[in-house]
Amino acid sequence: MAVMTPAGDYRTTYREDMTIFPTLGSRVALWAGIALLCLAPLVLDRYLLHLLINIGFLGIAALGLNILVGFTGQISIGHAAFFGFGAFASAWLHDVLHVPVALAIPLAGLMTAMVGLVFGAPAARLKGLYLAIATLAAQFILEDFFARAQWFTGGVAGRVTEPFGLFGIAFDRDETYFYVVLAFVVVMFLGAANLMRTRDGRALVAVRDHYLSAEMMGINLAYYRTLSFGIASFYAGIGGALYAHYLLFVSVEAFNILFSIQFLGMVIIGGLGSVMGSLMGAAFMVLLPEVVQGLANLLAGSPIDRALRLGASISYLREMVIGAAIILFLMFEPDGLAHRWRLIKAYWKLYPYSH
Amino acid sequence: MSIKRTVLGLAVAGGFALPAAAQPIPVGHLMDNSGATSDVGVPYGQGVADALAWVNATRNGVNGRRLNVLGFDYGYQAPRAVAQYQAWVNRERVVAIQGWGTADTEALVRFVTRDRIPYISASYSAALTDAAGRSGRQGVEAAPFNFFYGPSYSDALRGMLQWAKQDWERRGQQGRPRYVHMGANHPYPNSPKEAGETLARELGFEVLPAIQFALTPGDYTAQCLTLRNQGAHYAYLGNTAGSNISVLRACQTAGVQVQFLGNVWGMDENAMKAAGTAANGVVFPVRTAVVWGQDAPGMQTVRQISRQSDQAGTAYRPVHYLAGVCSAMLMVEAMETAAQNGGEVSGPRIRDGFYARQNWVPRGLEGVCVPVTYTADDHRGTMRVALYRAVVTGDTAQGSVADLMRAGTMRIEPVATIELERRRDWLGW
Repeated sequence: MAVMTPAGDYRTTYREDMTIFPTLGSRVALWAGIALLCLAPLVLDRYLLHLLINIGFLGIAALGLNILVGFTGQISIGHAAFFGFGAFASAWLHDVLHVPVALAIPLAGLMTAMVGLVFGAPAARLKGLYLAIATLAAQFILEDFFARAQWFTGGVAGRVTEPFGLFGIAFDRDETYFYVVLAFVVVMFLGAANLMRTRDGRALVAVRDHYLSAEMMGINLAYYRTLSFGIASFYAGIGGALYAHYLLFVSVEAFNILFSIQFLGMVIIGGLGSVMGSLMGAAFMVLLPEVVQGLANLLAGSPIDRALRLGASISYLREMVIGAAIILFLMFEPDGLAHRWRLIKAYWKLYPYSH
Repeated sequence: MSIKRTVLGLAVAGGFALPAAAQPIPVGHLMDNSGATSDVGVPYGQGVADALAWVNATRNGVNGRRLNVLGFDYGYQAPRAVAQYQAWVNRERVVAIQGWGTADTEALVRFVTRDRIPYISASYSAALTDAAGRSGRQGVEAAPFNFFYGPSYSDALRGMLQWAKQDWERRGQQGRPRYVHMGANHPYPNSPKEAGETLARELGFEVLPAIQFALTPGDYTAQCLTLRNQGAHYAYLGNTAGSNISVLRACQTAGVQVQFLGNVWGMDENAMKAAGTAANGVVFPVRTAVVWGQDAPGMQTVRQISRQSDQAGTAYRPVHYLAGVCSAMLMVEAMETAAQNGGEVSGPRIRDGFYARQNWVPRGLEGVCVPVTYTADDHRGTMRVALYRAVVTGDTAQGSVADLMRAGTMRIEPVATIELERRRDWLGW
């Protein structure tokens, strides 16, 4: 394997064309990155670990949405409901059927995928705005289901669940649970990256790029559109299940439409059609409120605060900044953080001959 | 005054300069300042915050250790409360928490029991009173570290139903009175539903199917028409003031003649001003012996506490503010008990501090807070339900709450005090 990529396209096989890590450097960087993250619990404090864990499970769910929106060109504004279904399913599997958590999480992903296939069925017939409204219905139907299905979700009071455990070890603290989330992130992201190299993955992209050409090439549109919903829901379910066993409490209140919009924000900010972009978008969404909160704390009690009489409304700044960030990204960085990252990499690689 | 403030400032600066001398005591304070119940969450949270700030300023904290109060506005989202709880316990190592809503408090029962952290909620859900888990009721777990100040939602409703029964007979009405539960499908309004409907049946009421309305303000004309078509006589409003106002106004417009019974969070002076004459006649429990503007030995202290956030001393404080002060001061005094004889201010010792006194009124708040007694297997602090009626005689659009109360346009009149029997079979629901 080459240490560097040559200038110009010298790839002669599909295998070379499809590789995820084109150079030795990128592969080493990946392993070094994972190794560094493994050291994180030893050096970072609990607060930063908490943020990283959040980025992890939200990133997995965002990746699911990215497969649906970015790779297949469908739309869903009910992703939080699937995330919630995964959370409830895992808690239910563990608490009622006494399935070990380590097994309940993937099973919850599968259950959510089934539900996703059902709610994705309209995608076989609908496009664009009409599909958006159909998924909006999924959001409300599932939310209402969560509030009423006492046997499954504990009703409006929610369900308290247990931490992740494996071989008698409880992963109930930030330091330990971090590894669980990290493992899932690696597996799920590798899975998605590889999925896009398969025949099915390429079919999804073809559906996005031009559905009519795709159909003429023999791709079953209805099948792949619905499949995309199933895959997206699987990822959402895994993310939700990881969330459930981290927070240890699942309540219908968390999975509202606002959260669905946040997922859309993550994939737009991260970069539509980019695997790593999903993680970047999730990181952005998790860190932005923290940064704004820090700024708000600085502002609180300052002359600006007094002059504008912000007072209690300073906490609303957070919500407004998130909205503003999405608008600004759509205007100035429509390809998202992943694109910006590629530009930065290219700048360093090609310096000083970037043209 | 300015010298006093300078001295105080120096004292505060000194306190920061010598951190090793006395480690501050970390205390969590969960507030709803922006969510569905922020209408009552803001005054209550302010009461708690002011009381704790006052303890730091005048008593130098608990046993010479200042309270490091960590406030967090969780917007009435139970999952956010749980996440914040874990942050507080793991990172800040709080020894006690002043909490808020029913959904989050009930969700946290298992956590605070495991971590042995006294949790003083503003949720008075009866499920939190079964400290030893002896009630044997389904879904009710032992809650040995949960406390609240005031009658439980269920007991308050039982008191109101007993009053309603007397009211029905006193007015010489014929037939069976009809009772209906109203509220959102949410743990908080649901909490006393079963208890209320059961007692209503026992007392001879006809119980109508419950009517739902959301925790947020909206158009509830449909609910009022249902109320009228069903011919309800007594209706329990299980939500907080904001959405109850919408119901009261809609029902006034629709001309519905029903005696409304408010939850303890369902009515206050701000709501009376907002609802105007629609609020006239609503009966609701008040947790303190006095309301703002009345006098009692302890009101001197409360006015000092109020100055923590209102230096002019002109603000009108609604009933929830006083309740917040009482519940914060109970915790402070339990901490002082824990700290006695060089004891450690730890969760289990603070809990034991709640058991140390009978008919307990926090020092300096005599005549304001009502006496409470907690025992190791029964956390129903009080079985006394003091019922008041909101009286609104004129236009409330003009003038502040303080003006309207002073002028008598709005009044909170005592109606009856119901002393409930401490029945074992009422524990935990």
